[in-house]
Amino acid sequence: MKLWFQLALRNVWRQKRRTFLTLITMFGGFGVASISIAWSDGTFEKAIDVYTRNFSGHIQIHSPGYLDTPSLYAAVDGGESLLASVQSHPQVIAATPRVKAAGLVAVGDVSAGGRFWGVDITRESSMTRLPDKIISGQSFSGPAANEVLVANGLALALDADPGDTLVVVSQGIDGSLANDAYLVVGIFESGEALVDQTTVIFPIDALRELLVLGDRVHEIALIVDDVAAVPAVARDLQQRLGDAVDVATWQVFAQTFNRAMELNRRGTWVSLLIIFAVVAVGVLNTVLMTVLERTREYGVLRALGTSPLQIVRLVLFEVTIMAVIGVTIGCVLGFAINSVIAWVGIPLPAPISHGGVEFSRLNSVVRAQSFWIPAVCVFASALVVSIFPARRAARTAPALAMRAR
Amino acid sequence: MIHPSIVASHATTTAEHVVVAENVTKEYRDGGLVVHALNGINLTLDRGEFTAIVGPSGSGKTTFLNLVSGLDSVTGGDIWLAEKRLSRMTSAELSDFRRDHVGFVFQSYNLIPVLTVAENVEYVMLLQGVPAEERAGRVERMLDRLGMHGYAGRFPNQLSGGQQQRVAIARAIVAEPDLILADEPTANLDSTTAGELIDLLRELNEENGITCIFSTHDSRIMERARRLVMLQDGCVDRDEIL
Repeated sequence: MKLWFQLALRNVWRQKRRTFLTLITMFGGFGVASISIAWSDGTFEKAIDVYTRNFSGHIQIHSPGYLDTPSLYAAVDGGESLLASVQSHPQVIAATPRVKAAGLVAVGDVSAGGRFWGVDITRESSMTRLPDKIISGQSFSGPAANEVLVANGLALALDADPGDTLVVVSQGIDGSLANDAYLVVGIFESGEALVDQTTVIFPIDALRELLVLGDRVHEIALIVDDVAAVPAVARDLQQRLGDAVDVATWQVFAQTFNRAMELNRRGTWVSLLIIFAVVAVGVLNTVLMTVLERTREYGVLRALGTSPLQIVRLVLFEVTIMAVIGVTIGCVLGFAINSVIAWVGIPLPAPISHGGVEFSRLNSVVRAQSFWIPAVCVFASALVVSIFPARRAARTAPALAMRAR
Repeated sequence: MIHPSIVASHATTTAEHVVVAENVTKEYRDGGLVVHALNGINLTLDRGEFTAIVGPSGSGKTTFLNLVSGLDSVTGGDIWLAEKRLSRMTSAELSDFRRDHVGFVFQSYNLIPVLTVAENVEYVMLLQGVPAEERAGRVERMLDRLGMHGYAGRFPNQLSGGQQQRVAIARAIVAEPDLILADEPTANLDSTTAGELIDLLRELNEENGITCIFSTHDSRIMERARRLVMLQDGCVDRDEIL
């Protein structure tokens, strides 16, 4: 093995210019792929973070079947103790209980259908930045105050402004008629059309009281410390909490958004495919040229008793050595550039605002996959395309060695 | 004098016969054109012989050497080398066979350019799986014997033509083959160096008893052979002991 490694290494340095060009193709392809993956990971994470922190959270816990058929009656008992269990998970950084219902709302003579969310404004603030979404007026004065926040689209339909009185009519969980009047303290905008057309947000205790829910909740939404860890945390929580509840990740309860993300990811894979096709063609060109130039030399090796398999091994060793060097340089450069983009970010031409969050630059995320995926691709593409020239070298007629130069 | 093996039966091989060629023909096809390079050659080389294959260009010398060493396959007839029938072997079997039984000295030296002198000499033994210590000892002794001791760490492009051919001879002989095959080994050398190298080959042949067959155009070189086989138009025209 040492002989083949030595032969391959010396052959690599024999054609320095060609080796250098091949290395540029390899580490260039690696670097572009690495930066592309880190950048796309960063963009996806940002998009997921913005989306999930708007209202949904990374994970939601409901009564079984609630996501398919939301119902006032599908409430989970013991909201506070459930919340405490969820918050005890080391990767959960924030969790909030919610109550959800629907009914009629009216301001003066104008009425409309509405969706009601009862939220714990303190917990909600640390998770979904709800106060940042208030575009006029203010937040609740207390957890049980008879106050509401009205979504801007609904407020427009009702001609509601802060200071107006909103009359709410719904049904309590005990079958009673639930109605009351609430002070509109603020108008909010989430950036999601359905939410902004229909939603009224209550302090959770106020809505519980209206609907006679006691300490029951319809939903516990939570966020974890790492978006990539969401599925694992969800599995863990499901195991801890048992079958009495369903633990769902954002990929389940935000399927449309997830599909859009998946589509984007596929776009990234297509880009990577093109990058590595270019790398493969570059490597094929170099290796084929080398094999053609050294046909006579392979003939001599064959004449001396080198087997076809050993010739294939020699060519693939040479490519592997170049790939190792190319990937090493690519790793160093990729890590440096990815770190800078992760730290400083790339400014957007115009800031994007969504759900009360404005971001003006996008940052990369430096993860192991930004390196191992390009590394595997460089090795695989280089070795696969080298099989053809290697086989050609192995089939060199040994009688070529006898021909005078 | 006509060599006795010419008149002997070629159908049998013995340990004494290193090479037996029986009614060997070789044709090359170039488009629609068929070139008859060898036309029914019968020849036997015994162990320890030092034979020159001579003849004009196109007479079939190189083709014959290619076939005898298993570098190429016959169109018709059979060749036995070290009691093995080459025409029945696959490409991979021929590789192993050449490695273990044939040493080559090429006209253009054909040393591996990225290996040093010592590594070039060691190469075939590495393929054979000879242990490292034994390899090192044999390389040292062989380079000493050929006067190349001080050049072990040099690369081929740092040597003269004569020195490179000495290394090639060392590489051919160090693995202790049954047959040394040299195709025009002195064609690229001046006459003094060429004479020295053929003398060296002959000395090694006498010392080790290795069968040696070489082709040449040079009349001063062919005089040093002990047997001369002349080819003409792909046939043995003359075969004599000198």
